Amino acid sequence: MASKWWRWQQKSAPYLFISPFFVLFGIFLFYPFLYSFYLSMVQWNGGKTKTFVGMDNFKRVIQDDVFWLTIENGLIIMIIYVPLMLLLATLVAVLLNSNWVKGKGFFRMSLFTPNIMAVVAVAFVFSIMLNGDNGLINVILKQLGLIDVSILWLDSPVWARVSVAAMVFYRWMGYNMILILAGLQSIPKDIYESAYVDGATPFQVLIRITLPLLKKILVFCVILSTLGSFGLFTEPFVLTKGGPLNSTTTPVLLIYQESFTNLNFGYASAIAIMFFFLMMIFTFIQMRVTRDND
Amino acid sequence: MKQKWKSSLFLLMAVIMLLSACSSGGNNDTSGESKDEKIKLVVWIWDAAKMGLDANMEAFKAENPNIEIEYQLMSQTDLYQKYLIAANTGDKIPDIIAVESSNLAQMVNIDSLYDLTDKVAPYKDKIVPFKWEDATKDGKVYAMPWDSGPVVMYYRKDIFESAGLPSDPEAVADRIKTFEDYKEVGNIIKKKTGNFMFQDSKTRSNNRFFETMMWQRGLWYFDKEGNVSLDDPKVIETAEFYASMVKDGIVNDAEGFSESWLNAFADGKVATIVGAAWYDGLLENMIDPDSAGKWGVVQMPKWSVDDQYASANDGGSNLTINANSKHPEQAWKFIEFMLGKEESQLTMLKDAGSLPSLMTTYEDAVFSEPVEYFGGQPVRKIYTQALEQIAPQSYTVDFPVANQLMKNAFAEVFLNNSSVADTLKKTADELRSRTSRK
Repeated sequence: MASKWWRWQQKSAPYLFISPFFVLFGIFLFYPFLYSFYLSMVQWNGGKTKTFVGMDNFKRVIQDDVFWLTIENGLIIMIIYVPLMLLLATLVAVLLNSNWVKGKGFFRMSLFTPNIMAVVAVAFVFSIMLNGDNGLINVILKQLGLIDVSILWLDSPVWARVSVAAMVFYRWMGYNMILILAGLQSIPKDIYESAYVDGATPFQVLIRITLPLLKKILVFCVILSTLGSFGLFTEPFVLTKGGPLNSTTTPVLLIYQESFTNLNFGYASAIAIMFFFLMMIFTFIQMRVTRDND
Repeated sequence: MKQKWKSSLFLLMAVIMLLSACSSGGNNDTSGESKDEKIKLVVWIWDAAKMGLDANMEAFKAENPNIEIEYQLMSQTDLYQKYLIAANTGDKIPDIIAVESSNLAQMVNIDSLYDLTDKVAPYKDKIVPFKWEDATKDGKVYAMPWDSGPVVMYYRKDIFESAGLPSDPEAVADRIKTFEDYKEVGNIIKKKTGNFMFQDSKTRSNNRFFETMMWQRGLWYFDKEGNVSLDDPKVIETAEFYASMVKDGIVNDAEGFSESWLNAFADGKVATIVGAAWYDGLLENMIDPDSAGKWGVVQMPKWSVDDQYASANDGGSNLTINANSKHPEQAWKFIEFMLGKEESQLTMLKDAGSLPSLMTTYEDAVFSEPVEYFGGQPVRKIYTQALEQIAPQSYTVDFPVANQLMKNAFAEVFLNNSSVADTLKKTADELRSRTSRK
């Protein structure tokens, strides 16, 4: 009897130990996720009554120019910063992983710091520096004689996207660098040694050994940054409020506006669901394209 | 397999027990509270609005020693979002919620405010009529009006003088009768002093200026039947006029209450504010505290001299009670003391610069008193005159959506040089589809 109890305990213990995650996941992620499926099929302004409307919300999303614009915004912002950021992050990581650089700890820390600072504070400083008429950036550019007329960093559609991308770049470069650095350190040293013995140049080593072995982690970074740029919220919310002309409204910002400004919770949920499937397709394609052939 | 089921069942039970233990604990707490003699009311409010209540707090405590008030401060947007969640989960807290008139209809529409119809009945005729519209749904009233925002024109006497214009209130009122005059004066000031007539952002305006012009003419995003009227010829005409002022270069491109907006006022670069009476307190305490004696107040310009109404409403707040509150009677006591009592309202006017909607206070001597900040001009008389001249209308439920779309419409006009008429027509259609209106 005792041994039966013991065996039962032994078998159930792992479930008990992993249960906090699943309980929290269920309550805070899975249940809301299912509920938003339900919400996407009703019309609800936050009051007592929810009217079932079937697929109407989805029909509206598909015809909604603003929704497609937000996807476009996400794409544009991603194209502006992701390649540049990953290129730089890789370069810096390789440098910081090499033997001859001094003060590695200091550099790693200072590059990572932007990521742990409060976003709102960073965004506030950015918005002051990027101010159209007397912001620091414009003043410096004018002093250097690079421009005559102030650039409206936050008030013209093109530059607003660049500004948002710049801030994302600033915040996430260090983070990606750390990820890549971890990848670099997992590459066994003896591969490099044998390469050098065979007479490979450092450049050849980088192209032929380091990058191919980093592929997995780079793909991971690309997927993370892609999802990140469509899911941007704080940066555009604080810097530009999604404007001008919705040019920096990301899908998540649109969901926020529809739900909490316009109180269209049903419609907002439909956008969220559409967005979810689009992101799933995106990720799937990226994984297919970059899949290991071996 | 069976054992797996058993163990997961066990887990589920454990979780349920844990959860129910938590919730029953919560219940005990609240039931213990009601036995207490002393009652605590939680008020959700933002900083600027709390100032007025603070001024009357001593008197309220003296009269109601058993009611304790706890303020929870948050920004307006946060407040509405949090209340939306509280309302949907049936929270008993907060008891009292402050709501701006611009968002009141939207909040009333979520059906979770306490029905105040009987309680406000004695005040129905004592409060400026337009305040009730956004508070009412299906004949029931859900809010007690607080302050009003009759729009007037604040102007810098020194800037007017250096442009060779009259600076005495009567003479200014005579010089600027219509918005046409206003624009003309703006151009004179720009030419002679290089200063701006007013400030508003091209791409992220809060549209207050334009909305004020509409309201004064009895126009709005929606007409009286609730249909979208943004492409009404009169609205288009008003927007075209507004755009022409921006294109004349008499408007400084700065977002309301931003760094550069505040700096321009502090540097004395802006000649006027066409804004609500609540700028009274803001000018003195926040926007331009160093310029005492330099600002004057007159009625806002009219669209045309023959128009029936001369003013508009901008903003203003209300107090409401959570329908789930456990102490609605006490909450009403607090609201009535603060907003229904003449003395309290007059204290708020003097100490916090919030203009009562309670008309029975207007006869008080304080309204004809000279105000030091405005060089001894008895400005409060001008506010009450403006109040009587407000075109009777309300913000309506879909105001927040309309306001957002209009911001983009003006951005399009100024960034892409689109025609005002075309942009407004396009925006009107979008507003129709977003709000399912005609």
